[in-house]
Amino acid sequence: MNKEMQDLTVWAIKTAKSAGANDCKVSIGSQRNVEISYRQHKPETIKEATTKQLFIQVFVNGRYSSQSTSDLRKDALKDFIGNAIITTKLLAEDPFRSLPDPKYYKGRKEIDLGAVDPQYAKFTPEDRHNLVKAIENAALKKGGDKVISVTANENDGYSESITMTSNGFEGYIEGTFYVAGAQMTVQDEGDRRPNGYHYVVTLNKKDMPSPEEIGAECARRTMNLLGANKIKTETLPIIIQNQGVGRIFGGFLQAMRGRSIQQKQSFLANKKGEKVGSEHFTLIDNPFVKAGLGSRLFDADGFATKKRVMIDKGVLKDYYVDWYYSRKLEREPTTGGPTNLIVPPGKRSLKEIMKDLGRGIFITGFIGGNSNPTTGDTSIGIIGQLFEGGKPVQAISEMNISDNHLKLWNKLIEVANDPYPYSSLRFPSMVFEDIVVSGL
Amino acid sequence: MKKITRRSFLNTAAQAAAVTIAAPVVLPEGWYSFASPAPRGYFEREFGASDNLCQKVLTKALAKGGDYADLYFEHTISNYIMLEDGKVNRAYSDVALGVGIRTVKGDQVGYGFTQEMTEASMLNAAGTAATIANAKATKPAGKFTWLKTKSHYPTDIKLVSAPLESKLPIVQSVNDKCFSLSSLVTKVNAQFHDQQKRIMVITSDGVKAEDLLPRNYLSAFVVAEKNGKREQAGWNFGGRRGFAAYTDAAVTEVAKKAVNSAVVLFDAVQPPAGEMPVVLGPGLTGILLHEAIGHGMEADFNRKKISTFTTMIGKKVAEPFVTIVDDGTIPNLTGSINFDDESTPSQKTVLVEKGILKSYLHDKISAKYYKVKPTGNGRRESYQHYVVPRMRNTYMEAGPTAIEDVIKGAKNGIYVEDVANGQVKIGEGDFAFYVSQGRLIENGKLTAPIKDINIMGNGPKMLANISMMGNDLKFYTGGGGACGKAGQSVPVGFGQPTCLVKSLTVGGRR
Repeated sequence: MNKEMQDLTVWAIKTAKSAGANDCKVSIGSQRNVEISYRQHKPETIKEATTKQLFIQVFVNGRYSSQSTSDLRKDALKDFIGNAIITTKLLAEDPFRSLPDPKYYKGRKEIDLGAVDPQYAKFTPEDRHNLVKAIENAALKKGGDKVISVTANENDGYSESITMTSNGFEGYIEGTFYVAGAQMTVQDEGDRRPNGYHYVVTLNKKDMPSPEEIGAECARRTMNLLGANKIKTETLPIIIQNQGVGRIFGGFLQAMRGRSIQQKQSFLANKKGEKVGSEHFTLIDNPFVKAGLGSRLFDADGFATKKRVMIDKGVLKDYYVDWYYSRKLEREPTTGGPTNLIVPPGKRSLKEIMKDLGRGIFITGFIGGNSNPTTGDTSIGIIGQLFEGGKPVQAISEMNISDNHLKLWNKLIEVANDPYPYSSLRFPSMVFEDIVVSGL
Repeated sequence: MKKITRRSFLNTAAQAAAVTIAAPVVLPEGWYSFASPAPRGYFEREFGASDNLCQKVLTKALAKGGDYADLYFEHTISNYIMLEDGKVNRAYSDVALGVGIRTVKGDQVGYGFTQEMTEASMLNAAGTAATIANAKATKPAGKFTWLKTKSHYPTDIKLVSAPLESKLPIVQSVNDKCFSLSSLVTKVNAQFHDQQKRIMVITSDGVKAEDLLPRNYLSAFVVAEKNGKREQAGWNFGGRRGFAAYTDAAVTEVAKKAVNSAVVLFDAVQPPAGEMPVVLGPGLTGILLHEAIGHGMEADFNRKKISTFTTMIGKKVAEPFVTIVDDGTIPNLTGSINFDDESTPSQKTVLVEKGILKSYLHDKISAKYYKVKPTGNGRRESYQHYVVPRMRNTYMEAGPTAIEDVIKGAKNGIYVEDVANGQVKIGEGDFAFYVSQGRLIENGKLTAPIKDINIMGNGPKMLANISMMGNDLKFYTGGGGACGKAGQSVPVGFGQPTCLVKSLTVGGRR
């Protein structure tokens, strides 16, 4: 743990208390970030910097506010904290605001989540340039003479943060990350220039696929967009590719939050214990996945994290309720938000499933769209392929799907055996039946 | 180098706030002069950013032979106060301070930034930026000359910031008005946001420019309940305005729009799915222009030949009554700027003139590539980001047709009133935008409300398919409009008259 950051956090809490705060919570974070991109075999951008930030929540006479600053010098911070107390005193009282009951801090696991790559310090500028060059070369090779432009990128960083509260919570997080990928544009008919991309995110360098695989996958995804057109509006089965499922699931997740429920903005309020999806819809929140992008030992309130079954065979089992909204809702808190979300994979491959479905749409990406958490209505543009007899026959564009989440997840008929490893949403590809696909 | 740094600034700021508390709360909005840009010398006075220091840092940024370098100083104070369950009971503030250093070599960019305004930190960041080049050192200009510009928004700190005590009753009032307007209202969330962003740009070709950009908005979000069914809607008002803009009438308007928009949704129906005529109502629907055309006209995409508009300059893309503009000089709009983030003065840039594609939106890199003057579209989110071409306020000029004739012209289709968000694929030109509220058009008349549908189209096709243009140009006057590109968010504005697009794909469920 960074001793300097720890000492400053302790000092900030003492300063806030002596300035009039009844309670407070202080987090100090630091992150070093490097970004490199290549285009036309030369660096297009190089960027590097270190950022620091202090975040403080103060509780004064039943009132609450939060503030952040990047100036971590003590003399400046003293003024900053003093101003935060003055501001807070002017707000209305909120009887539900307080630091959490310390009993929820207890039970934190003492395990290594694998969030820090031990090799990170050895990742040199030359390694970075070589990685990006290799991705660019692989994408260009796979794309062939259709390629107009390829930009390959790499972004990596190291971060650490320490959080303390005046009622005894102390937590330290340290981590590394790597993002690598490319975007490609190819020439189609007329002025149409399909643009595709592929990126992977990992915490450890060893978990990344090879740069050749990343570049080739970018090219594959882009070439699959060639010749896209819209087809007539019809009701079809759809398969949403693993890495895209999170986009449509986001509208469902929003309605699982305590704030949405308390503010009457949730179509899932009062649905606990009820069927909200098909038997294929099981959702597990697992904070302890080794090197998982959402793994953590404590949540934003400081609660010790737990593995939770959120949806079991279509039945809603739990909500994401933080300390504040648990008090407003007069119910036991769970945790404020998701960690790693896992839908257990099915048994069959995408290929096998597609073959059995006959005619349908394989959705590889989304465009625009939104979801209404109060009603569950959702509508979103789709990108992908029309398939027949297990084979792609036509790339599609300018098409939509619309539904209500309470109906949509009941139309889930199968999940594939391909969970996506480069996200905190470890979803496999999902198959839905009877979806109106809007086109011509 | 002057030794005043952030600590003395924060003390100064605290004193200024105390003075402001005693100042009159409401001043007429016309009290300030648009002709007066922000006072100069703030960063030298408060942080010691002297010409001598800037020259040293620029010299370091060009030590390996870049063509051009610039420094972007930023000090931004952001405040949010929020109401939930009837009380203004939470606030959030953030202070952002730093300097970004960019070195440009051809179309290559090196970038470093620091949050510490010390000479050593700035030189270190400049060293990072310099690594983009690999040749003999070049030199920055020997002296810097202040850029002279007009101002398109108030730049006096006394007019654009207000003490917390003055903001609290406004937020409370919008809540009370929402509840008084309809017994169906069950929840209100209200928020007031104000931001004062001070920037200074110093360029290696000898320009220095300084500004204070205000940004503020009041928003209300309402949940209504009827017969066990719930609906939600929101509205906001703001832009680059003085605090005096938040009059009782403005607060009432926000409340009315939010409540009326929620309540009408109880009668909403699902439109049919598929292609149909779409009438875009005036104002906020300009987001469609932003997505369908605006992004594709950003010159970096065209320089790289990855935009569908890459080969269309000088070509006919729409009917002669279609003129599309990106304008950073419209008073008080969210996307207005006095100069861009690399010191080019703001301007009105015509993208499509009477149906002919005229100009891309340029930063300095693309302008050099195309051998044209930059258009003042080089923008960035903050000192942590480098400049890329971005829109400001994008709108379509009014046409000749009466609104009722435009609606009649659709015969059967949908009318779009309120839009939540949009997205575009630059290379294909395919775009989507989400209609949170609208109406069916049946036999040339507006009928049942519709809601929550996505609409898709293709930019060039849509331009060619605009068949009628109304005479009622309106600008969106909300303050919350922001556009995302390359991991950066910048405030933008929209505007549009009512217009008819012959055919777009509507994502209905039947």
